[in-house]
Amino acid sequence: MAKTILAVDDSASIRQMVAFTLKGAGYEVIQAVDGQDALDKASYHQVNLVLTDINMPHMDGLKLLELLRELAHYKNIPILILTTESGDEIKAKGRAAGATGWLVKPFDPKRLLEVISKVID
Amino acid sequence: MAEIQAAEGESGDYAAHHPEAIKHDEALCTSGADEYFLNIKRELSQVDRLVSDAVNNLVISFKYIRKLTSSHHDVVLAIEKMSVPEGSKSILELLEKQMIIADKIEHELEMTITSLQFGDLVTQLLAHTANQVEALNLELQRIDRKRNWKENIDKNAFDAIQDGISKAVKIAKSKSKSKRKPVVQQGMQMGDIELF
Repeated sequence: MAKTILAVDDSASIRQMVAFTLKGAGYEVIQAVDGQDALDKASYHQVNLVLTDINMPHMDGLKLLELLRELAHYKNIPILILTTESGDEIKAKGRAAGATGWLVKPFDPKRLLEVISKVID
Repeated sequence: MAEIQAAEGESGDYAAHHPEAIKHDEALCTSGADEYFLNIKRELSQVDRLVSDAVNNLVISFKYIRKLTSSHHDVVLAIEKMSVPEGSKSILELLEKQMIIADKIEHELEMTITSLQFGDLVTQLLAHTANQVEALNLELQRIDRKRNWKENIDKNAFDAIQDGISKAVKIAKSKSKSKRKPVVQQGMQMGDIELF
C-alpha cells in the first residue's frame, strides 16, 4: 500500500512540483494550503510523513509542527520542513519544535525523494 | 495619514508662525510621500502578479509535456513488445533510440522542477521588499509627526530633516516622471497587435 504524504505550502506551484515529484515515486499526496488546512486534513487522513513550508498565512509551519506533535498519531511521524529560510535561529526553533529535517528551496526532486525514503521507513 | 493630520492639528504654534511651510510640507511629505510609496508597492504587486501568471502557465505546459512524454514512452514500449519480423534490426535500433530520447526528456523535465520553484522565491522576496518600503514610509511619517513636538526638540534640526525629505520625494518623483514606465500589462496574455 502506498504511503501518504501531507504536503503543505501556500504556493500552488510548489505544491504542484512536490506532488508531481512524490506521485511519480509512488506516494499518495494530500495537499494543504496553510497550517490550519493541514491540521484539519491531518486529523482525518492516515499520514505517514508531513512536508511543510514555514511562511504561510493563517498558521505558519512552526505552529503546525508544534500542534501536530501534540497529537498522538504525529508524535513519531517524520515532519520535514521545506522552506526558503536557512537561518540558524529558525532552524533551531524548528528542531526544538520537533522537525525531522530541514530542506531549503528550491528542492531537487531526486534529493527530496532520497531524504523522504530515508526518514519514512 | 489620519494620525499625521491629527498630530498636525495639535501644533497650533508652529502652524501659526509658519503657515506656508506647513502647507508646503504637508503637500510633499504626507500626500506626496504616501502616493510615492503606494506606487512602489503597486509596482511590486504588479511584478508579483506577472511572475505568478508566468509560473502558472509554465506549470501547465510542464504538466502537458510530461503527459505527452509519458504517452510517448508507453507507445515505444508497446511497439517493442510486438513481435518484430526477422531482419528488422533497424526497427529495433530505432525503437532503442526512441527510448533513449524519451528517458532524456523525462530527465530534463525533472530538472525543470527545481527551476519552476522560482515563483515562490520571487514572491517571498517581493513581500520582504514591500515590508521594507512600508517600514521606511512609517519611519518618514514618524519624523513628520515629531516635527510637531517641537517643544522638546531642536526645531531647526527637524525642519532640516523635513526639508531633506521633501526634496528627496520631489526629486524622486520628478526623476520617475521623466522615465516612461516600460511595462503596463498585468498578465501574461498575448498583447495587442497593430498594423500600419
